[in-house]
Amino acid sequence: MEIVHTLIGELPQFGKGVLVAVELLIGIMSLGMVLGLIFATAEVFGSWPVRLIVGCIRKLLWAVPQLVLLSIVFYLPFNLSPMVAAICALGLCSAAFQSQIFRGAILSIQSGQLEAAKAMGLGKFKTIIYIVIPQMVRFSIGSWTNELASELKDTSLAYVVGVMEIMRQGKSIISYTFGNSLVVYFFIACIYFCMTRMGTSIFYRIEDKLWVPGFKKRKD
Amino acid sequence: MKKISALITGLLLLLCISASPSLASDEEVTICVDTEFPPWTWVEKGEVKGFDWELWQYIAKDNGFTIKPSFVPWPQSLIAVEKGQADVQAGGVSFTCDRAKKLSFSKPYWRHSFFALVRSDSDLNGVTALSHGAKVGSLMGTSLMWLEANLKAKGVDVSIHSYDSTDLGMKDLDNGRIDTMFVDGPTAKSYIEKGRNVKAVGQGYGYDFTAFSVQKGDPKQLLPKIENSIAKAYKSGKWAELVEKYLPGSPIVSVPMDVDYNEICGK
Repeated sequence: MEIVHTLIGELPQFGKGVLVAVELLIGIMSLGMVLGLIFATAEVFGSWPVRLIVGCIRKLLWAVPQLVLLSIVFYLPFNLSPMVAAICALGLCSAAFQSQIFRGAILSIQSGQLEAAKAMGLGKFKTIIYIVIPQMVRFSIGSWTNELASELKDTSLAYVVGVMEIMRQGKSIISYTFGNSLVVYFFIACIYFCMTRMGTSIFYRIEDKLWVPGFKKRKD
Repeated sequence: MKKISALITGLLLLLCISASPSLASDEEVTICVDTEFPPWTWVEKGEVKGFDWELWQYIAKDNGFTIKPSFVPWPQSLIAVEKGQADVQAGGVSFTCDRAKKLSFSKPYWRHSFFALVRSDSDLNGVTALSHGAKVGSLMGTSLMWLEANLKAKGVDVSIHSYDSTDLGMKDLDNGRIDTMFVDGPTAKSYIEKGRNVKAVGQGYGYDFTAFSVQKGDPKQLLPKIENSIAKAYKSGKWAELVEKYLPGSPIVSVPMDVDYNEICGK
């Protein structure tokens, strides 16, 4: 089994590939989170022109396939490095999805609470910061973890613009061993499985930690 | 709340660190290498290997360059060099008249012919493998262009299937979805040597010149330096050593080859 030895020899490179995937994931999720939060609050609390503009941007990002957006961003005339292009493109796509997660979470906060905040003299901004966001974070963690798992798998798309991540390492091995595609792709699948399991279990634990008595829980 | 904002700030900071582009120095030559195209270039255990890369190490040493590989995928590397984002395209680049409209090419250092590969148990021969309704697969590139121009356009009864990578085509050949895989000589020889259930039934159908390409007009004046160094490598015996290592059994001819591209393209 020559290929097993090759794969063992390539383990450090796969390790690097995993780090690149994690780096991509952190970039994508943070960009998606920041933009997603802005989109969500704007769509819920904004005036009608703001809602219209943000809604259009969000729908556009939602409708374009990641691979297409990735290529568009990569070919923009800014000379972006593959890593930055991948983070921007996949992050923008993720923002559209995350904004819907946050929007749903915001809307599930009872309107009575917002009225109570108003009655206590809190302004719109303070209400969002002190009343909406803390509850929204707890409500959205479950679906957000789902998005995390989905984006982790989507980092493999970054290979098309030249990021040396796990998929690209694998394809390189297939080329210089002239075959073994099945074994190599199966090995890559195992790596992604382990990463996804680890990632989601961390966030399920955070969800449990942030749980407030009286709120619904994922396991309920 | 504080914890969450600290987390977000931390993540953003990490993003900024990871996203900052590396600075390039002047005497550095960035070379686009194909990570999946042995024996010309490939990546093994994190290192670039192959005929072209080792040749470039020689060229760099000869001219005092430092070389840096760029792993932009193959189709994008043409554009990267065209726009000047990278200096050289290496990795078994075939000269074509269309590519020459957008890039400048060095004089060729290799000439290889196309091979027709069939399954080991197939009874097709050099003619029937590329006619009589044969399903012929080929990598997108010059071999595909040859099939289109010399068979399809001339009414030969073949159906042509194009692939993004050689292994996809080889898989289809193995499964019987295609009858013949039409590939360049070095790739064909590698698959035969590795015992991948294929045999060559024909070769010499057409040929490609392999050369290095740079930005149109060669603004960095790299081509004369590249050609000089290749000539030196040939005279010093380094060339023979490289051929023996990566393309064993191939004839050693004087390089760079004296080919007039204008004549080929009929200008």
